[in-house]
Amino acid sequence: MAGMELLSDQGFRMDGRKPNELRRIRFKKGVFRQADGSAYLEQGNTKVLAAVYGPHEIRGSRGKALHDKLLINCQYSMATFSTQDRKRRPRGDRKAQEMTSHLKQTFDAVVLTELYPKVQLDIFVEVLQSDGGNYCASVNAATLALMDAGIPMKDYVIACSGSHMRDTPIVDMNHLEESSGGAEVIMAILPRCDQIVFLEMNSRLHEDHLSGVMDHVMVGCKDIFNILNQQVQDELCQKTELDKIVTTG
Amino acid sequence: MPTDTRRLTGPESSQSPYNFAPCSKLDMRNLEVRPDGRSFKQLRPLFLRTDVVSQARGSSYIEMNDTKAICAVYGPREVLRREDFSLKGQLTCDFKFATFSCKQRRQHQQDSQEKDLSVQVLEALEPAVCLHKYPKSQINIFITVLQHDGCALSAAIMCASLALASAGIEMYDLVVASSAAICGSLTLVDPTAQEEETILKSTVKLDANAGSVTVAYLPSMSQVSALSSDGELSFEVLNKSMQECVANCQRLYPVLEQTLVKHQQELEASKS
Amino acid sequence: MTDAELSEAEKTFILHSVQDNFREDGRGNEDFRHMEVETGLISNTNGSARVRLANTDVLVGVKVQLTAVDPEKPEVGRLDFFIDCSANATPAFEGRGGEDLGSEISAMLTRAYSCPSAVDFHSLCVLPGQQCWLLYVDVLLLECGGNLFDAVSIAVKAALFNLKIPNVTMTKDEGGVELDLSDDPFDFKRLNVAGAPVVVTVNKIGHKHVVDASEKEEECTLARIILGVTEKGTITSMRKEGSGSLDSDSISEMMESARKVGMELNKILLKALEEEEKQGAKTVGFLR
Repeated sequence: MAGMELLSDQGFRMDGRKPNELRRIRFKKGVFRQADGSAYLEQGNTKVLAAVYGPHEIRGSRGKALHDKLLINCQYSMATFSTQDRKRRPRGDRKAQEMTSHLKQTFDAVVLTELYPKVQLDIFVEVLQSDGGNYCASVNAATLALMDAGIPMKDYVIACSGSHMRDTPIVDMNHLEESSGGAEVIMAILPRCDQIVFLEMNSRLHEDHLSGVMDHVMVGCKDIFNILNQQVQDELCQKTELDKIVTTG
Repeated sequence: MPTDTRRLTGPESSQSPYNFAPCSKLDMRNLEVRPDGRSFKQLRPLFLRTDVVSQARGSSYIEMNDTKAICAVYGPREVLRREDFSLKGQLTCDFKFATFSCKQRRQHQQDSQEKDLSVQVLEALEPAVCLHKYPKSQINIFITVLQHDGCALSAAIMCASLALASAGIEMYDLVVASSAAICGSLTLVDPTAQEEETILKSTVKLDANAGSVTVAYLPSMSQVSALSSDGELSFEVLNKSMQECVANCQRLYPVLEQTLVKHQQELEASKS
Repeated sequence: MTDAELSEAEKTFILHSVQDNFREDGRGNEDFRHMEVETGLISNTNGSARVRLANTDVLVGVKVQLTAVDPEKPEVGRLDFFIDCSANATPAFEGRGGEDLGSEISAMLTRAYSCPSAVDFHSLCVLPGQQCWLLYVDVLLLECGGNLFDAVSIAVKAALFNLKIPNVTMTKDEGGVELDLSDDPFDFKRLNVAGAPVVVTVNKIGHKHVVDASEKEEECTLARIILGVTEKGTITSMRKEGSGSLDSDSISEMMESARKVGMELNKILLKALEEEEKQGAKTVGFLR
């Protein structure tokens, strides 16, 4: 069926994007009042909320505290209505646990943990609507939430996924492309230091294509970074302008 | 829902034979006598007894014709987890229908209705117990309904308050509870399971007013400690039946008092 | 959830302000806080709504599923409530921390919606005795700023209003009846929610009572009654919550307040929802 092709002969993907085109990204920082930092991010139809609490005293058993650095505690959950078929449990399944540990690793690498010994930072991510790239959207949203909370970080962490189809690398996959059975490369990078903090590949991909896909995903990450950074800086400028008006009367 | 792996489970899907039996529902519109012969305002006879579980600090048994419940109180004892430390004592309540108690078989694990009832019993008792006298400690109440024929909540509350008293827990007052089922202009005091089900489980609207009310009451302080209603009722009807329940609670109070006095006398007799 | 407990002085301040019918945020005792309702934000659901009541944020998604009928009630459809307390609201909800609160709210909703006039349960039955619709009403609690029960019930009603149930065509086969779901997104039926209740919580503070208590005010109350109130002013379920007790006169007064507020709330909500639908405004969701 021609309509079902993941990449058409004209070089367009199922949702009409070009191979290296991202989905529309929209976000807002500070959606919640009570959390120390929060952010809402949409990547196409994937919608994610992230909230950051802390740094605060260790909750629960004190044995978890790390004497020389910050303890990062993550929780990834998906709303029961986020997927096409209803999920029975919002969290606690193996996939969510894996995602939780991936998020923890990612942010351990980027937050300046040594500044806060013996305390804890909570990062909670909630997927409201899932349409592929859940990890990527979660990382991007959590980065924004951390910035909203004012947690010192080395750099933004930006995540993006990619694959290889009909000899063309594609980036920012949606659910349909993810579930088509092709390879999937997920990367989280520090865009300004050109460092990779997380890299995962599922399924089978020819060795020769890997570096090509990785390069494209890297570019995708940097594109996302530019979009996020632009808006963050604009908002910051606006805010400082406002502050100036307020202070100068 | 976590499943109990140590217990043998029945077939995955089974149907109760009652689904095929002819409907045992009452015709509420033309009801003149209640199936058990009581008048509409008549309570069932109340039988109470303390000291039925020898290991427990206090215990009691209640019988209202075919509604039978047993309750055991343990404590005050030390709080196990140190984080749960508090200046006020903690009261916990575990409400369970025995698997064989209802028409349909109940599961061994608490279902959501039983959890809800646990909280309601707890909140009915909390205002009556002097929890500030028991710092750092917990008091555990376990209620099992052995046979359910309506008014399980009120039976459980009365049974638990008597068990607490017989355990020597300091209380402001005994808690008495009473229910009523309402259908249209009819108010059925102390309803049986059949009457409750006919009104609450109906899928068609019986009347503008169809529901049930349960009130728990502290008679000597004239305070309502629990209030619960189901079904759809108008404000005036609800208010009226609430007052009626309160009046019934006051009528039941001497029975609880007597049981407690008898309990004390027996205790003293056994000492001497 | 407030992380800092209130001091005695703060509690007294709140108590006095309630006594004077002039609460700390300037409201009277029977006033609600500013509320925003939006429907149809989650495209993976059959109906969704978000309610923001001051700092309380609730998202509801309804999914429909065809299922075998309950043998006890073979001619009606079913509602299934699930409340997920997201850790985004407070770290205390992490893991299984929010389960107790969640089951408490879902028990209250189940009871409030259990009367036959709440929604037309018969219209949710596809094939009497065999197949019916099961509506999964999933509530996601995103932020807690007091008065959760009311906010959740409003969001649930709004989501049910927004609900679009695909039409089913039945074809008789020799083996039985075959059900065909319409895949046309515009071929659906709606649910009439005019009879659906909203939950109103009335908190007893001192000698007076307030509706829509903020988190601080909730700290000051020992007893509250929670009622499901329909548009006609009937009460679909009620329970007392909290460790305190109430005298029966004040219960009547509290019920009267709840009824008044509940009727008004139902009316305003339905009007706002119809207004929103007429305008057909684009959803903004969390981006505002």
